[in-house]
Amino acid sequence: MSIDTIRNSVAGDSTLLSWETWNRIKHTERFVVLSSVLFVLLFSYAFGRAPVVSDIFRGYHGLAMTILIWSIFALGFNLLLGQTGLLSFGHAMFFGTASYAAALFAIHVYNEPLLVVLVGVLAAVALGVVAALILLRLHTVYFSIVALAIAQFLYFLSREPLVEITQGINGLDIPRMPLLGIVDLEHEYGGLLGMLVVNNLYIFIGVFFVAVVALITRIRKSPYGLIFKSIRENETRTAFVGLDVWRYKFAAFLLSAAIVGLAGGLMAVNTQFAGVERLYWSVSGDIVVMTVLGGLGTLAGPVIGTFVFFYFKGIVNGFPTLGNYWLLLLALSFTAVVWVYPDGIWGMLTDFVRALRDPKELVAKTRRRLSDLVPGGER
Amino acid sequence: MSIDGIVGFLFIALSVASLYLLVAVGLSIVFGSLKYVNMAHGVLYLAGAYIGLLIASTNQYGGLLSDAGQVGLGWGFIPALLLTPVIVFVLGIVMERFIAKPFYERDLLDQLLVTFGILIAAQEFVAIIFGRTGTIYPRPEWLTGAISLPAIGTPPGMSAASTIRVLVVALTVLFILAIFAFFKYTEYGLAVRAGTEDSEMAQMLGIRVGRPFLLIFAVGSAYAGLAGVLGGSLFNVTSGIGMEIIIPSLVIVIMGGVGSLRGTVVGALLAGLFFATATELVPSMTRASIYLLAIVVLSLRPNGIYPSTEVGQ
Repeated sequence: MSIDTIRNSVAGDSTLLSWETWNRIKHTERFVVLSSVLFVLLFSYAFGRAPVVSDIFRGYHGLAMTILIWSIFALGFNLLLGQTGLLSFGHAMFFGTASYAAALFAIHVYNEPLLVVLVGVLAAVALGVVAALILLRLHTVYFSIVALAIAQFLYFLSREPLVEITQGINGLDIPRMPLLGIVDLEHEYGGLLGMLVVNNLYIFIGVFFVAVVALITRIRKSPYGLIFKSIRENETRTAFVGLDVWRYKFAAFLLSAAIVGLAGGLMAVNTQFAGVERLYWSVSGDIVVMTVLGGLGTLAGPVIGTFVFFYFKGIVNGFPTLGNYWLLLLALSFTAVVWVYPDGIWGMLTDFVRALRDPKELVAKTRRRLSDLVPGGER
Repeated sequence: MSIDGIVGFLFIALSVASLYLLVAVGLSIVFGSLKYVNMAHGVLYLAGAYIGLLIASTNQYGGLLSDAGQVGLGWGFIPALLLTPVIVFVLGIVMERFIAKPFYERDLLDQLLVTFGILIAAQEFVAIIFGRTGTIYPRPEWLTGAISLPAIGTPPGMSAASTIRVLVVALTVLFILAIFAFFKYTEYGLAVRAGTEDSEMAQMLGIRVGRPFLLIFAVGSAYAGLAGVLGGSLFNVTSGIGMEIIIPSLVIVIMGGVGSLRGTVVGALLAGLFFATATELVPSMTRASIYLLAIVVLSLRPNGIYPSTEVGQ
């Protein structure tokens, strides 16, 4: 920003420190990427080791890594549901298949973490092509349920008939190998780096996280990504404009599969394990819960949703009395969000910020929302 | 294969198909007539199984009931079979009014999501109250072993078919015929069919479509409740059975063609046959078989076996 622009913005109707300036900064791609880097750097520390905050959260480093990986999963899932409007109830198929492919490659071919993750992505894309050929001819609920059917088929397939390859419910163990033959992933740092990220594995996952955020931001801002959105809004109209809807859906599906595959591969590297439960329907259900709870179609929503989910599963679960009810509470809040507040937690936060700026608008919006809930009520 | 083997095989196939069918038929008519996808239908199956259990036997449960000692009425299997569908019928009315109705006008995906949330919450609720370990229905003596008739004893070939499976199949046939007759011969059935075709026009002709729809929803619920008792006596009862039954049932409804009762029946029969064949030939594929069947069928016919929008054809 040159001196002139600063002078202009101060002199003009928009001041330097105003909501308008903030909006402009907020919507640049660089801001998104930089803030996600910052998030990765601070997240594990704030969650697991920061003096006061982490005592409240009771978090720990291992859970922070799990949350980052599942965030990638949720971001990939959201690319399909939030952008294109296709609700897949079987995304566990990509997560599980990528995990298995990564593990099998690591065990039988070559155990290099980068290659292992890449194999996971490729396997998910390959499965995505086959699944898309079946699924993309189906609409709405048909699509969701048949996706679930494919995932369940793969689950039962790897559980029993393919037990020779997958080791059934015992799963596959992967030995830990250094990255590129030199970088020890479990090496723990001292000093500031040790305080923030602890070890190389966290950096390894974090880099992929930032890359996925950058990729998704790019897609969301591009004309190509806008077409995904227009398919969600009205498929027929998009087709009338002369766009090949199937092709764009196919692209969105494969992109989503690839990102979820990345999460699956990373999960295999992180836990040194791949097992049949990653294909189970509950994984597909969990990812739906995370994404919708956090906020559909946004960038921060899926990450927040993942955090909330794992906070409940990993930490609230351990509380004395409340721990018993963690899934019930989570399922009820999920239901409430779908019912009353489809924008999710991120939507609530942005609404809250907006209310600080303009309280009247929030009142109007809430009133609209409530009247929408009553069928036949005032619109 | 001997005649015993064939009959036994058929009854495995038919009893599995029956369970799926009793659950799927409610899903199918509600989906077909109200355009409402109800994953929470699994709650009704779950409720049926546990209500039946409470009526039929006294039991020691885990969860919050672990300190309560023996819980349940202990009236036996027949009262459970008769009372449970009635209770679940009422539960269905409540569900229609408070859960389904606010969502009729909303997006199909919203319906799917909200009912999914309700199903998970309900299963968790049951797990907290009754504990997470499975329970088995105590079978009365006359239901164990093979069927035996007063005059002839065991009919030829029937010694391989257990009485409970014969009962499940017979009840299902009866109830499915009843629902077909309901749609074909009663005024209410006609009203539902009219409401399905064009609900606005039906209303203009003076039919209050709301009421037949409520009835349909509740009847479908009662069927799911009955399936809960029957399924509980064939397999284990755990807090997770709602989801376990709803996935294959939804798959069957979609495979048959949404809104087509005939399609649902054919879909369930195919699924049962596949299940039994896999049990016989490749046991490891048993539980994967129905999904494989659905994937193949829907790849060939994306709109299901009977692509129709009208109920009761």
